[in-house]
Amino acid sequence: MMFDALFGYNYTRRKLLKKTNSTVMQEFLSNPFPNKKELITNINIVSLDFETTGLDIKKDRVISIGTVNIEHLGINLESSSHQLINANKKLPESSVVIHQITDTQLTDAMSIEVALPILLKKLSGKTMLAHNAKIELGFINKMCQELYGSNFIIPVIDTQYLAQRSLERQNKISKSKELRLFNLRKSYNMPAYKAHNALMDAIATAELFLAMITKISPGNKACLRDFLS
Amino acid sequence: MEIELIEIRDFIALYPPFDVLDENALNTLPKKLTIRYFRKGSAFPDLTLNNRNLYIIRTGAVELRNQQEQLVDKLSEGDIFLAENVDDKTSNVIKGVCAEDTLVYLLSYEDLLLLQNEFDDFDRQFNFSVNERLRHAVELSHSADMRDLSAMKLKVSELTDRQPVIVDAVTTIQESAILMTNEYVSSILVTNNGKLVGLLTDKDIRTRCVAKGLGYNEPVSSIMSTHLETVLDKTLLSEALLLMTRNKIHHLPVMKDDEAIGILTTSDVVRHLSANPTLIATDIYKANSVDALKKISARLPELQLQLSLSSSTAKHIGEVFSSITDAITCRLLELAENLYGKAPVEYVWAAGGSQARNEQTSHSDQDNALIISDELQPEDEKYFENLSDFVCDGLDACGYIYCPGEAMASNPLWRQPLKIWVKKFTHWIHSPEPKALMLSSIFFDLRPVYGTFSLFTELQNNVLKQTKNNEFFISHMVGNALTHQPPLGFFRNFVMVQDEKHKNTLDVKHRGVVPIVDIARVIALDNGIKATNTVDRLDAAFKCNALSAEMHGNLIDALEYIGSLRIRHQAKQIRAGLDADNYLPPEELSGLEKNHLKDSFSIIKTMQYFFESRYPSARIR
Repeated sequence: MMFDALFGYNYTRRKLLKKTNSTVMQEFLSNPFPNKKELITNINIVSLDFETTGLDIKKDRVISIGTVNIEHLGINLESSSHQLINANKKLPESSVVIHQITDTQLTDAMSIEVALPILLKKLSGKTMLAHNAKIELGFINKMCQELYGSNFIIPVIDTQYLAQRSLERQNKISKSKELRLFNLRKSYNMPAYKAHNALMDAIATAELFLAMITKISPGNKACLRDFLS
Repeated sequence: MEIELIEIRDFIALYPPFDVLDENALNTLPKKLTIRYFRKGSAFPDLTLNNRNLYIIRTGAVELRNQQEQLVDKLSEGDIFLAENVDDKTSNVIKGVCAEDTLVYLLSYEDLLLLQNEFDDFDRQFNFSVNERLRHAVELSHSADMRDLSAMKLKVSELTDRQPVIVDAVTTIQESAILMTNEYVSSILVTNNGKLVGLLTDKDIRTRCVAKGLGYNEPVSSIMSTHLETVLDKTLLSEALLLMTRNKIHHLPVMKDDEAIGILTTSDVVRHLSANPTLIATDIYKANSVDALKKISARLPELQLQLSLSSSTAKHIGEVFSSITDAITCRLLELAENLYGKAPVEYVWAAGGSQARNEQTSHSDQDNALIISDELQPEDEKYFENLSDFVCDGLDACGYIYCPGEAMASNPLWRQPLKIWVKKFTHWIHSPEPKALMLSSIFFDLRPVYGTFSLFTELQNNVLKQTKNNEFFISHMVGNALTHQPPLGFFRNFVMVQDEKHKNTLDVKHRGVVPIVDIARVIALDNGIKATNTVDRLDAAFKCNALSAEMHGNLIDALEYIGSLRIRHQAKQIRAGLDADNYLPPEELSGLEKNHLKDSFSIIKTMQYFFESRYPSARIR
């Protein structure tokens, strides 16, 4: 990840592709990521949100994955998906309250061994969007290491980072409360979604990003690099 | 259905037309949507999207405007908007701007069609919503247009038609009074080094000079009002009126760029607000000279403006103006009888053309005829010549210009005893020559206005007896009626007027109104219908089964629609200080109005085909 900044994500991707023996990783890494100079309008983006048992990447697990694609600045709901993950671990009560996912529901869920290749296939050659992306990135990276012995790489747009950057550019100190998805959406005149699940959050993040693009790049003339973390 | 999109499903299910969909269709709908975001101030819909899409507003607000930039609708949460193809020339021309940050759900046209095909209720609801929106837009653009023109929306500059009379502060009171007398004004402005310093009125001279015994050679500055309220040229009349009432003042200098361009007086306002047909008719009967009638008729364009502002129908406006022309004609005849004495034998003054049909506007020429009793003696002819000249000259002075075809009582051919008129008509009916047919709009549309009406009735009964079911004559009349045709296509292949003065305009009178008027006349003559008004003739034709219910309704709608556009066009011209005409520039029409006009033309075309096929010999002409 460190080399990313120096050599670019496609350089890292090629390095990882050479090293890995995992077919899942080979498939994921074989599609080149978009050029940073490409217009944002032409970038295919996957908005991603995980619900997890907690925020400790070492101990906690992913319990659901929500994704939706953004194509030509439109959120394509046909591409939306919500996948529950069988964590093989009893859910702590706190996360049940937040996500309203119960153990019974999880028994219908997929194992991460099946779900991760599906997710990687979706992300291959695309740009990933998430709110506070380090959580999603951290979990995917850990899972890739555990299952395929490889690191994960992808160009990332993080709406929380964009909001923070925008506040800093106006010399304002960002409070963590302001940077929450819900509050940021409110500042963009967006509806408050009641449901709190991985897919609705992925859609909510995608909508917020569309709004941010119009602010950062009113004529949609900006490039991918203007948004990358 | 993934339960996770339930929130989007629940939102859509709240609003028509989606509220009639069944559970299953609602559950699968969210997956068909695309979400887009419009920043406040951005154009709506997104013209870079080439596909037709249905927009469902999730949050935010959109203002829709027509081609004239008038606000026709506002979309907010749950409203739908069907965006047409950008390259589709027939598409609605209503476009919008987002008044707030706006989030929309897009449904592709293909998916919309699938829903419409599958669910009848949805289809009905959808068409209803969209049609209602369009109709609403039409109504709104209509009333918005009229609101624009309404009296209170007028700017003061539009009422102050003359330059103010200005004197320098050192001018004496007497010099000022002489100037005011010569200029026929009741107030003047006083300046010092070009700067407005005061206002002098008749009242100031009376109360501050004469009553106080002040010398006439004192400067005006000693008696003028110095606490001046002024208004800007673009001030609304309503605001100016409020200012005058509040400060109890009758004169308001009108300023433009620090320079006085006029004085608005209470009488200007009253004159403007009192253009009222009843008042005008009363004034007409009180008028004692041609000059007095001339002054009254100068108020007619204003009346037309007022009537069109009050959303009167074209038919109603035609009736009002024809009755005023009747009143002026009657008054002129009374004045002539005062001048030349009582008529030696009975006569009737008949109006022809649009006056006879009760379809006049303020801009009409005169058509008339004199039917005299058969007891007419050669020595009486001079009397009727004098009478007719007096009335025709008077009408011309009042703005009803001499008929270009000389179809007037002042023309000896149009001033005849009854038996000669009967002979004339018999000749026209049995050998309809092209020249005679050209005048048919005048002599087959006659209505008695003044005198012994029974003379007219006798002539009319005779004429109708000869024309009724007269195949030969009617087919000639149909042929003549088909000479004026509506334009075939629209704008690109529109036949526009091409003479220099009216370049690229549409002659709505000859291409829209006249074809219907002509056909209605033929039907009336064919069926012995006595009415002269076109709508009345069509009504009577429908009653005696000469016209189908459908064609009857369509023709009346088309006539009123074209008539209303014509009236509106003329109101605009009158307001701009121009002479009213019938040449409509297409830019004055919105896209929807163009569509309606197109429909009206196609109705006329259908009617003409029908008569053409019914009277095949008419086509040869």
